[in-house]
Amino acid sequence: MKILVCMKQVPDMESKFKLSPGALWYDTADLAWRMNEYDEYAVEQAVRLKEQVGTADITILSIGPDRIKETMKKALAMGCDRGVQVADDVAWAKDPLAIAGIIAEYARSKDFSCIFTGMQSQDRGSGQVGVLLAEMLGFPSVTTIVDFTHENGEYLVKRELEGGVKAIVKVKGPAVFTCQLGLNSPRYPTLPNIMKAKKKELLTIPVEQLQKTAPQQETTRIFFPEKKGGGLILEGDIPALADQLIKILKEKTSVLA
Amino acid sequence: MKMLLVAEYRDGKLLANINELLGFAAEMSADIAVFLVGTNDLLPKFQGQLYLADVGKHLEYNPDSHKALLLQVVEKELPDFIVFSHSSYGWDLAPRLAFALGVSQISEVVAVAEGCFVIPACNAKLRRQVKSLSLRTVLTLQVGAFSAIDNPDTLPTVLPIDTDEVPHAHFQGYEAAAQGGVDLTKAGIIVSAGRGIGKPENVAIISALAKALGGEYGASRPVVDAQWVEHNRQVGTTGQSVAPKLYVACGISGAIQHLAGMKKSEFVVAVNTDRDAPISEIADVLVVADLKQFIPALTEKIRSL
Amino acid sequence: MNFELTEEQNLIRDMVREFAETEVAPTAKIRDEEERFDRALMFDRLAELGLTGIVFPEEYGGAGADYISYAIAVEELSRVCASTGVTLSAHLSLCANPIYLFGNEEQKQQFLAPLARGEKLGAFGLTEPSAGTDAGGTRTTAVKDGKGYILNGTKIFITNAGDAETYVVFARTDKQAQKHHGISAFIVEKNTQGFSFGKKEQKMGIRSSPTMELVFDNCRIPASQLLGEEGQGFKVAMKTLDGGRIGIASQALGIAQGALEAAVNYAKERKQFDTPIAKFQGIQFQLADMATQIEASRLLVYSAAYKASHGISYSQASAMAKLMASETAMRVTTQAVQVLGGYGYTREFPVERMMRDAKITEIYEGTSEVQRMVIGSALTK
Repeated sequence: MKILVCMKQVPDMESKFKLSPGALWYDTADLAWRMNEYDEYAVEQAVRLKEQVGTADITILSIGPDRIKETMKKALAMGCDRGVQVADDVAWAKDPLAIAGIIAEYARSKDFSCIFTGMQSQDRGSGQVGVLLAEMLGFPSVTTIVDFTHENGEYLVKRELEGGVKAIVKVKGPAVFTCQLGLNSPRYPTLPNIMKAKKKELLTIPVEQLQKTAPQQETTRIFFPEKKGGGLILEGDIPALADQLIKILKEKTSVLA
Repeated sequence: MKMLLVAEYRDGKLLANINELLGFAAEMSADIAVFLVGTNDLLPKFQGQLYLADVGKHLEYNPDSHKALLLQVVEKELPDFIVFSHSSYGWDLAPRLAFALGVSQISEVVAVAEGCFVIPACNAKLRRQVKSLSLRTVLTLQVGAFSAIDNPDTLPTVLPIDTDEVPHAHFQGYEAAAQGGVDLTKAGIIVSAGRGIGKPENVAIISALAKALGGEYGASRPVVDAQWVEHNRQVGTTGQSVAPKLYVACGISGAIQHLAGMKKSEFVVAVNTDRDAPISEIADVLVVADLKQFIPALTEKIRSL
Repeated sequence: MNFELTEEQNLIRDMVREFAETEVAPTAKIRDEEERFDRALMFDRLAELGLTGIVFPEEYGGAGADYISYAIAVEELSRVCASTGVTLSAHLSLCANPIYLFGNEEQKQQFLAPLARGEKLGAFGLTEPSAGTDAGGTRTTAVKDGKGYILNGTKIFITNAGDAETYVVFARTDKQAQKHHGISAFIVEKNTQGFSFGKKEQKMGIRSSPTMELVFDNCRIPASQLLGEEGQGFKVAMKTLDGGRIGIASQALGIAQGALEAAVNYAKERKQFDTPIAKFQGIQFQLADMATQIEASRLLVYSAAYKASHGISYSQASAMAKLMASETAMRVTTQAVQVLGGYGYTREFPVERMMRDAKITEIYEGTSEVQRMVIGSALTK
């Protein structure tokens, strides 16, 4: 069984972001880089699937500059068997369609029976790549899974819906799944496995070889949202206060929607 | 400008998020048509054409046939925008449609500016302005970003649609939300009790509001130390660090230990009799009132919404 | 010269940090208060992550990583819990390492491998009531008797004692020999007849790490558990402590780093006169000094670890690293308490624990004075 996991390296979200000159993306200098949180669940689920079926080969694929190799090594240390870096210094500027197109170009005719991605990246957050990839490959896909079981090439998964309700979906492979937080507990890459990951294959493919899809959108500007002003102070009659607050909550938050 | 809005039906209910899509369309002064896989007796309230497919046949989750149905309608209506809510239904279906149409999708739109769409980036720390380069554009709108409109007395003209697309994914039904152990770090809404609640019996006031809002209740250190609330509900340096969409601090003065645990909340409401309490510095709204009167009144009104 | 960590070292830091923050940190305060060693967390989990034998070859159950990786692991654990840091340091540097350096093949298979795999916890028994820094003052005796030795005496202040299964213990085998001659090292297992534990120390800091006396009362040890040659014990002890200093220096470094971060976070939040105190130059200067001293310590620690990994003599380097890092830890934690003011003095914030924990790093495995002696005598010989 061949399994593909698509992973993105993102900045630590606790970072203090600065805008890049030209303000089309954040400045990538002085950031600590991590595996996209959602993708950790994707890697873990792939490794669990391999453990379940006994023999499987997991490819971890990531698109970006040289620095993504370190995060790919983490995936290898968690149990992926080989890595494919699509070398691309301007991956940050590519839209979901272009990214999915690159992955599809690589994955087509590689005979993957199961593909895992995070449900979205923490930095761009479009949540499209997994589904687009599946559509391009002609595979079924299920998004936002929080539970995964496999039996004889059939997958029974649970999608997370609003309010903690889950939808149970059955699908036959080959298929693409986009992973939600809480799907499993991603393992730590143990120290011996970190050392062993050094010896695993990590192939680099120039993006030019795989880039066939034209983008359909472009970033015109990136900026910081307006800061909160001073807090509003409400005083007066209790029932009127309650009405005022409800009105504010409806306008400013999504909690009463 | 023409928009096709996608309404959602789930588990016997028409979801209210269609009203936000209607609000968005109104804000953009767009002509609209609405798409729904649902039932005849639960219709969104607006004036215009509703393309309705039978949920009995096409199920609530069946992206292949929902996509095929949408494609039919797009072909007929030729909308400039196909608009979904950025919900579990929307983010699953929208990219499938966008790909089938060969057009772009812009996810989780929070605003419109300069002919572009504004979306969050990096856990909402940044905003990105995106321009579509395609003839049509698929949008998903962030829940709560646009004001809902409600037209109580209007009903659409219904046009039934159907397809015989064979699905790849088979919807098996729902699993209800789990009950039991509380994890505040995952709560979207937290109502917290501070020393100002006065006595243990008043925890019930706080938990009732949390329940009415569909959230969890928490507490500050002194309340937990007094054993009025169990420790796994404590917010602060020695408890949980939380970042909900809404944090309601009731009778919490805002000691730095507490602030450290909740300052990442998106929207903070403080209820306190002391308008100079430190919590007011980070609160978006400070309600100066006695919580023992105010919170029950608020809970009652929220329940009746 | 290259000051960048390797990809593996970075991954190890990320892994240990994540583990430390999610699993070790949440109970650091309560374990300190209860003076409780939680073996499942502070040792068994480390074994699962492959940390208990970091520097040893795979054939002895280790991970085959270098000393910098080891230093990073102890640093990251100590950043949230100095007791967990010293548990690993004493186990690896003081017990497993002398067996690796001086043990024969059978001893390595029998004793080192289970230690490296983390199936057994290790400890080191050198200090006595009349012999601490001065190992030559050892009074515990080992008398040859047929095919073995009979040990008598008491060891004090032994980290991991009671819970550990394997002990490297020093005893005098030749009463006639002067000072540091005539001392030998032995591997002693828990539950050996005649080997028991004395009182548990009540300490100022690292309270979640157990410290006890070892009592030998006609304890018979087979000759196969003599570590190295008879009379070579002083050399074993000194070599062991050279390595141990890297562990303690890393522990001190981690404590200091944890305290700096706590101080910086607090200073950004705490407002006085309507301004975060971090904006005041007086606070900024203090934080700057703390950070600079920590970075200087880190370079010394990693450079000593680099030497240890590359077969370069490192006694002096590890003494410098330990001296600098431990004194930095004491100074930085004290300043961190000062930055937090009244809050810093309460047990609700971790800096008072860090300040108590830091003090021991200036004392054990050679006091600061001894480190200066080591450095000074190397300079003037």
